[in-house]
Amino acid sequence: MSILHEWNTLQTRRRFFGNGANVLGAAALASLIGKSTAQAAPGAIPTHFAPKAKRVIYLHMVGGPSQLDLFDHKPKMKEMFDKDLPPSIRNGQRLTTMTSGQARFPIAPSKFNFAQYGQCGMWMNSELLPYLSKHADEICWMRSMNTEAINHEPAICAMQTGNQVAGRPCIGSWASYGLGSENDNLPNFVVLIATPTNRDQEQAISSRLWSSGYLPSEHAGVSFRSKGDPILFINNPPGVPNDLRKQTIDGINQLNRLNYESVGDPETHTRIRQYEMAFRMQASVPELTDLSKEPESTFKLYGEEAKKSGSFANSVLMARRLAERGVRFTQIYLNNWDHHGNLTGRMGSQCKDIDQPCHALIEDLKQRGMFDDTLIIWGGEFGRTIYSQGGLTKDNYGRDHHPRCFTMWMAGGGSKGGQIYGETDDFSYNIVKDPLHISDFHATIMHLMGYNHERMTYKFQGLDQKLTGVLPAKVIKALIA
Amino acid sequence: MRKPLLALLPFLVSASFAASDQVQFNRDIRPIIADNCFHCHGPDPGSRKAGLRLDTEAGFFAARMNKDGKEEPATIIKGNPAKSSLFARISSTDQDEIMPPPKEHKTLKPDQIALIKHWIEQGAPWQPHWSLIAPTQPALPQPADAAWSKNPIDRFIGSKLAAAGLKPAPEADAHALIRRISLDVTGLPPSPAILAKYLPKNGDHLIDPQIGQLIDELMAQPVYGEHRARYWLDAARYSDTHGLHFDAYREMWAYRDWVVKAYNRNQPFDQFTVEQLAGDLLPKPTDEQLIATGLQRCNITTNEGGTIAEENLANYAADRVQTMGWVFLGLTTNCAQCHDHKFDPFTQKDYYSMAAFFRNTTQGALDGNVKDGNGPVLVMPADADRARWVGLPDEIAGAKTKVQASRTAARPEFTTWIAKVKPQDLNADFPAKDLIARLALNEGKGVPAGTTVNGEPVTWKADGKLGPAPSFKKGSNLVIGDAGNFDTKKPFSVGAWIRPTKVEGNGAIVARMDDPKFAQGWDFFQAGKNLSVYIISKWPDDALQVTTTRNPLKAGTWQNVFVTYDGSGKAAGVKFYVDGVLAESKGTIDKLKTASQSTTPTRIGQRSQSEFFEGDIQDVLLYGRMLSVTDVMTISKVGPMQLLLASAKLDQKQKDLAFEYYLNSRHEGFKLSTVSLAKLEGELTAIKTRSPVTHIQKEKMDSKAMANILMRGAYDKPGAQVEAEIPAVLGKLPADAPRNRLGLARWLMSDTNTLTARVTVNRMWQEIFGTGLVKTSEDFGIMGSPPTHPELLDWLALDFRAHGWDMKRFYKQLLTSAAYRQAAVITPEKLEKDRDNALLSRGPRFRMDAEMIRDYALAASGTLSPRMGGPGTYPYQPENIWEVVGMHNMSYKQDTGENLYRRTIYNFWKRMAAPASLDIFNAPSREASCVRRDRTNTPLQALVTMNDPQYVEASRLLAQHTLQVEGDDNSRLNAAATRLLCRPLKANELPILTASLAQLRKHYGANAADADALLKVGDSKSDLKLPKTELAAWTMVCSQLMNLDEVLNK
Repeated sequence: MSILHEWNTLQTRRRFFGNGANVLGAAALASLIGKSTAQAAPGAIPTHFAPKAKRVIYLHMVGGPSQLDLFDHKPKMKEMFDKDLPPSIRNGQRLTTMTSGQARFPIAPSKFNFAQYGQCGMWMNSELLPYLSKHADEICWMRSMNTEAINHEPAICAMQTGNQVAGRPCIGSWASYGLGSENDNLPNFVVLIATPTNRDQEQAISSRLWSSGYLPSEHAGVSFRSKGDPILFINNPPGVPNDLRKQTIDGINQLNRLNYESVGDPETHTRIRQYEMAFRMQASVPELTDLSKEPESTFKLYGEEAKKSGSFANSVLMARRLAERGVRFTQIYLNNWDHHGNLTGRMGSQCKDIDQPCHALIEDLKQRGMFDDTLIIWGGEFGRTIYSQGGLTKDNYGRDHHPRCFTMWMAGGGSKGGQIYGETDDFSYNIVKDPLHISDFHATIMHLMGYNHERMTYKFQGLDQKLTGVLPAKVIKALIA
Repeated sequence: MRKPLLALLPFLVSASFAASDQVQFNRDIRPIIADNCFHCHGPDPGSRKAGLRLDTEAGFFAARMNKDGKEEPATIIKGNPAKSSLFARISSTDQDEIMPPPKEHKTLKPDQIALIKHWIEQGAPWQPHWSLIAPTQPALPQPADAAWSKNPIDRFIGSKLAAAGLKPAPEADAHALIRRISLDVTGLPPSPAILAKYLPKNGDHLIDPQIGQLIDELMAQPVYGEHRARYWLDAARYSDTHGLHFDAYREMWAYRDWVVKAYNRNQPFDQFTVEQLAGDLLPKPTDEQLIATGLQRCNITTNEGGTIAEENLANYAADRVQTMGWVFLGLTTNCAQCHDHKFDPFTQKDYYSMAAFFRNTTQGALDGNVKDGNGPVLVMPADADRARWVGLPDEIAGAKTKVQASRTAARPEFTTWIAKVKPQDLNADFPAKDLIARLALNEGKGVPAGTTVNGEPVTWKADGKLGPAPSFKKGSNLVIGDAGNFDTKKPFSVGAWIRPTKVEGNGAIVARMDDPKFAQGWDFFQAGKNLSVYIISKWPDDALQVTTTRNPLKAGTWQNVFVTYDGSGKAAGVKFYVDGVLAESKGTIDKLKTASQSTTPTRIGQRSQSEFFEGDIQDVLLYGRMLSVTDVMTISKVGPMQLLLASAKLDQKQKDLAFEYYLNSRHEGFKLSTVSLAKLEGELTAIKTRSPVTHIQKEKMDSKAMANILMRGAYDKPGAQVEAEIPAVLGKLPADAPRNRLGLARWLMSDTNTLTARVTVNRMWQEIFGTGLVKTSEDFGIMGSPPTHPELLDWLALDFRAHGWDMKRFYKQLLTSAAYRQAAVITPEKLEKDRDNALLSRGPRFRMDAEMIRDYALAASGTLSPRMGGPGTYPYQPENIWEVVGMHNMSYKQDTGENLYRRTIYNFWKRMAAPASLDIFNAPSREASCVRRDRTNTPLQALVTMNDPQYVEASRLLAQHTLQVEGDDNSRLNAAATRLLCRPLKANELPILTASLAQLRKHYGANAADADALLKVGDSKSDLKLPKTELAAWTMVCSQLMNLDEVLNK
């Protein structure tokens, strides 16, 4: 096979969303060495086994929701109100400097009532999550998540990229790199930043969280925006209707073709196709973001909030629309879970933001037959402490960051509904059964997408880099249906 | 190209090595070993298996101890593959024997195994890694076509092309070459004047002297430095924000401007390096040399609450080591932060020895979210301030001496005074003028004097500020009555000691405010952590409100609070004090019109019906005038001092407090000297506040440069302490060199360093040719790409050093080479044999960097501002890009006028959201050093150049110029094309644009509203003298031209 042929193969296989001039697509390699990628989309890295999750919707709760007030029921704490956390439990755990100066660490039992739901008997906050609790048996509960990072920036970075220091590709980029694109006119990895109803305790979110790191930059997330153009510069300037845009692009491409004929640079050929693709995106994004054609039943399901651009409900609905159109990975960030103070005052509005939309997403995907191959992930970057930060009353308290244990959940996409994995001590301070490190969680997600995390690597700085990093990580089979 | 060929097309490799070829260890063998074996048999002892290492000469050829302590023969017996255990293992078919082991998922190909065999047969000649061998002057190859060569570069390029069976491309057309040179020297297309001056008639090529003159002329323009600086600023990770958490403003644009100037004055690269790494350690450093050290302050920093200082400082040093490694050494030193380097002979100790150079500095762990980052900065006063700025420190020192002298003089007088003074003697200190009421609230039982109780009986607390204090909450408050019957337009002051229970709520401390009568009156108010005052004739349109801004109130703490008002009816007439000190405040409502007085009684703890204060209040004071700063300060001190004097015996701390009180209230000499000191200090602060600052590096002078090895890179697991030193494999600092950054910088530029000259010329080559001779320009280590032209690389490095690190000369040498001057035409043969142009079989052609694309549009449309330097600019950017990142603490305020058209290097760079239109064209975030950008080709890029107002406006401005050209459509199309392509249109191009123009005219002729809308894009007004239909149609044609591949490419 000649290099020219190789180049042609490359051109046809190259994904629309960019292609570095010097990046040799793995697909080209696969085709050259004669491996078939029967199940994979064009341009994908062959999966190591049949993928269960063909797409992912990741709901990241920025700030670190309190597991103690939502999912990790600790009834014994009631009688320990305002008692000091026993040093044997804290056991030298490092503290943020926000509470390391506190004279004492008084226990703050959750103010909220809990009840058991579903066949699985999951204990949940019975006051604030009326919708989500209906799905207890469809959700895979992970109560023993743990991480090393203790402050937001490094912790979100670790959760999204496997490393506390910025610069590695995030999970979405890995998914895009691996699974390739299923659609011709939208980005493969989309990021939405939802605006919480209450914004008192927001934490930093930055585009480094959806960076492609050392992976080719076409795998970086494309941020869809709730104000202004949904994709940067997607709209024509005023006074340029679509048909006129089409004409001007045709003219540009005719001239570029002449240039290609005389200079012969393959990149010119690529640019011609990218301008065509740009036009297709321009044509399809307005349809994507136009919710006016959604039937009223949709808004019954997701709630009226879903009509409000940028709300969490709206973002979740958008995620379903993106998934329907073949987008592989949709990442939604919802801020304001950093409840150092007035936790009980703020928890209500946070839960209201997510409760009905999460339920709606599960229902909606089920109705469309997409639940089984769409993985939903919900969780923050760490959990919160049993002891109160600042003032403590029975009705109100704050909680500091707690990396040693926290709760996340998954649903659909091959995750095991009704599974309750992991257990913490009476204080939700230490894990007593089945610890689930974020690297194991990452390994498990990769597995659901069809990849062995040890083998899904990318060569950079001489190392075979991977999402799960250099320390050992394992797939947790119990989380898989 | 060798590596991809090995990986993809093994048959080519085996074909290319006949048995007679000499195998070269560095070229042929080391890449195979590194790829497949180093992970377990490399430099890192932590992961080394069986005691075998294959990264050193001894590892291959010396007997070794295995893990059981038994001696094993060398793994390679020179000349004898059959006796070499390495060969036996790689060629084994036994799954338990074969190397690499199957679980590593790495497999040697048959031809790789054959190559290793061949090498052993040839006697297994070993070489250290190429970049660790000092460059030697290579012989200039004899090229097949000697006439083609313009300078020595071409001898190397030409001979390699000939060996590959390729011929160079013909020289580029003159217009294309002028454009290419202009872009490479200045980052801008050639101006019409340059084009007119240099473009030969009759389609001739440029002759050598013309090319030399063109380059010199362009290099003499200040735009040269702006273009060069841009590359350096990526490497330096320059930005205008701190990077983490709040990602707030960081002021250091003076460093950016220093880089531009350094290039423009052609500062030799060795000085350029020494000043940036160690300017502060040079003898008597100039301001410029201090500004240069900003390189080391460009790292990202944080101010996140809860982060741990030691960890932050370790991260900052790590970033400096990484930058240093990539930029100056071409080594991925960062890989050795947690463990010895897996591939390069670089240990964790080496890493921390390097970190030591950068840890002995005065920068703190938190940046404070403030522009000076709470670290060392250089203040750069305006010329008018400079003399005072220089003189003030001495004057302040003199004033301090005087203050000290009066303190000493006052001692004996104080001793006499303190022996006799009684608490009541201080009553006279208390400002009595216009005191309307003083409610001590310290009775400790019953109803406090001067008040009546409204609601529940008073609760007294024993721990008041001045005796027992009453406690307030909803349902319990005190009524004073008529005192405080202030006119809203007359001066008054109100103060008290307060101890709020919490700082989340609101409540009136003292108020005379009539809720049902549109809140008429006034109140002194706790607004969470702030103090507030309302002065109201009728809410909300005849009222004013002022609030403190810096959260001075603390829950559970006694604080003396005061508000004073000058009666002006303006928010600016209000001042707040906390514990005697002025507190910053801001008017939030400033609409008081009429004078009035409220009739409701004055109350402590609430308004007439609302806003209940929760906490304790004592010593309420009402004055019918605006108190002075001194008055308020005195009031805050007198009460506590009287209490103190009442105690039986004073301890030392109390005596010190009494001495301070005495000095401030009774010693005239002290009072005078402190006033003049405060004035001088105020002057200094004022100059500092109004002057720009820039971050600089500053060495701690009282300690040695040391660091602890951090186990697994974790700040809380410190290991052995190491002294600053260069990596062992590169040698040692000379014995007489200072063990600090200056010693490091001088070593970098010395002949004994095998790396820096190579790494630097490679990066400069990359700027011009698109790809370095070493493609991985940040990694010259074992896992980096080997050089495509090793001899040329060495020749360039030695040449650069021998000519005094002269950068302009170096670039000129590249730009005058025949290799550079080739046309960019790609033939099918070249696509096959030299797909990535690694052999330079044609001229460089690649998509311009983000900044160049924007600058190009501005320059071609005649709107590029020549203004240089200064604070960052804010050109067009879609809404909601800054606002959604960080803590929503910064919002983007777009510039108007000239700043919209400045060069892109001056764009304000926010790390969490790099300028959007640049980001899409692969501009780095500047969060970490970047010496090599990605270069993608995506639809999102098409959207920028078609739709970004910057480009739409530039198209319209170009159209306006074009419509000034006399002549028909064709001559105008040619004029526009010449601005963008530097050439007239070809015969087959014209009809396409003519047809497009016709369609556009038709559309805008029929849709006037569309023309109107299009012409309104951008801050500049469109030329009203031009017919709108025409201008709109031409705007879109210019936009088409601006989007051509030929325009977007160099």
